[in-house]
Amino acid sequence: METNIKSKTLDEFKTITGTMINPAVQEWKDNGGKVIGYFCCNIPDEVMTAAGILPLRLRGTGSTGTELSDAFYSSINCSFPRHVFNMALNHEFDILDGLIVPNSCDHIRRIYDNWLRQLDIGFLEMFNLPRKVEEPQVQWYKDEVHLLVEKLEKQFGVEITEEKLKNAIKLHNENRRLLKQIYELRKVDNPPITGGQMIAVIVAGTAIPRDKYNEMLKELLEDLKGAEGIKDHRARLMVLGGILDDPEYMDILEDQGGLVVTDSICFGTRLFWTEVSEEGDPYEAIARYQIQQRPTCPRSYGDQPKRAQYLLDMIKEFKVDGVIGERLLFCDSWVVEHYMNDQDLKEAGVPFLKLDREYILSGKGQLRTRVQAFLEMLGGK
Amino acid sequence: MIVGGCDIGSTTGKAVIMKDGEIIASTIIPSTTKPEETARMAMDEALKQADLSSIDDLDYIVGTGYGRLKVQFAKENISEISCHARGAHWMSPTVRTVVDIGGQDCKVMSISDEGKVVEFVMNDRCAAGTGRFFEGMARVLHCGLDGISSLENQGAEPSTITSQCSVFAESEVVTLINEGSDLKNIIAGINNSVSGRLNSMVRKVGLVEDVALTGGCAKNAGLAKALEKHLKVSVKQLPHDPQIAGAVGAALIAVEKAAG
Repeated sequence: METNIKSKTLDEFKTITGTMINPAVQEWKDNGGKVIGYFCCNIPDEVMTAAGILPLRLRGTGSTGTELSDAFYSSINCSFPRHVFNMALNHEFDILDGLIVPNSCDHIRRIYDNWLRQLDIGFLEMFNLPRKVEEPQVQWYKDEVHLLVEKLEKQFGVEITEEKLKNAIKLHNENRRLLKQIYELRKVDNPPITGGQMIAVIVAGTAIPRDKYNEMLKELLEDLKGAEGIKDHRARLMVLGGILDDPEYMDILEDQGGLVVTDSICFGTRLFWTEVSEEGDPYEAIARYQIQQRPTCPRSYGDQPKRAQYLLDMIKEFKVDGVIGERLLFCDSWVVEHYMNDQDLKEAGVPFLKLDREYILSGKGQLRTRVQAFLEMLGGK
Repeated sequence: MIVGGCDIGSTTGKAVIMKDGEIIASTIIPSTTKPEETARMAMDEALKQADLSSIDDLDYIVGTGYGRLKVQFAKENISEISCHARGAHWMSPTVRTVVDIGGQDCKVMSISDEGKVVEFVMNDRCAAGTGRFFEGMARVLHCGLDGISSLENQGAEPSTITSQCSVFAESEVVTLINEGSDLKNIIAGINNSVSGRLNSMVRKVGLVEDVALTGGCAKNAGLAKALEKHLKVSVKQLPHDPQIAGAVGAALIAVEKAAG
């Protein structure tokens, strides 16, 4: 898929996404700043911003193998934690001053246990997430945020006031609004940006200071508004799934002529489709956002119908012709979800392609065959 | 109108030439390490068979299979999933479910009245249930592919082979051999285990008759018999070589492309 867009900012986003410790992280460190690693969409990264600490969402970008970490994982563990922990054992994350791990799934949760036993890090915190999405769970999450704030204040000698927290929420909400504005541009018949480019933009936002990110997003929006739209696509696609952070994977999906126009993935709309309330108690606002207002992933219980509706709404809003559901092998959260999505999409008359994958791109030939056949199917060939 | 279809698979290269809706030439050759050469060789042989002097005599050529991007003389490439569906439907228009078992993967397609793919599944990162798998088993059993296929060799009490991985399945077979199991029961067990996997793939897209087998492994009579038992329906015999179904489908799509 070719775009005519010339954007220095977009190139910068790609560079940031292509490496784990990007120059902005190094610069932050060199200026005496602290960096805390974390995983998933459900960590309140606003808290780190409020503490003046850079939140860096960890990925396995650049990993070439899992020979060190495999000693601590079984062959039925997801390749994402195996690659990330391998990098950790290889001292590629030594730059971190701390790490916060959520119990998103058992595979990710074990990064915490392994890190605790195998590596030294100044600050290692387990962020305990509830599963249900009702009032007691909002309170639970709120308590976890209070705990995290206390521990960060003690460890790093900072004061995280409510005012600082509110300012961080405003800053992060601006991220969300700007990203949503870019998605608005993808609703038209000829969007100016590909799915591969978009994922680079979103991943970069989890790896640089959020104020700098906002400035870059504003520049990108200007570039996109002046850009010529993409015309040569033969179908509009939505990607649905989990930890997908690799622009090359998206590129392969799009190389066959389908243009990805929207998504529900961990480095996608689930991060920014709704905002944290800027009114009232910021702890309460963050907790309610995370538990009840943000589009959730299948780790949550009780709100599957809401997730299913989110998918159908997206399809309508973005005029999606077909949905590609990707899943990391051994991901037990997504596997059954995709079967439910399959049923819903059949009813809605929207073709659905399920793809299993490894975290680091492999099996490109089979992937291309599947995607090409899917597009031929959409085109009625 | 004269058109060509060229299907470059992992194990064999197939070329078909069709004139006014009839197959006038078809070839199957072993794949080389250079897909562009496999394609050229398969097509040259087909041209000779059709008494054509040059590839320029063909109005349109479509490439398919794993090597589809390397069929240099093809004007377009189409996935083998679409091509097998089209080919099987042309061979037998009542077919609604196509099970394509090739050298390195297997696919199940659900197709419409017009031979278009409605849904498909493909096996993942595992050779079990493919030509590669049967070759490995034939080697261990010293019986050749014909030995696995032969209906006389399908023992009445199939051995149980449960491994999902072809390498481990081979170890299971070696264990059975060393335990002194009847070779015919082992052979039936092999076809049985592959049929079980194919059955679950068929159930994923939904079983609609008629069911047809395509690809090289469609010639395994023992497998077809075992699959019928699993599916509880009979498998439709195609009136042409099922291994060329992909190339035939490519040629049929070439007709459409040539017409614009």
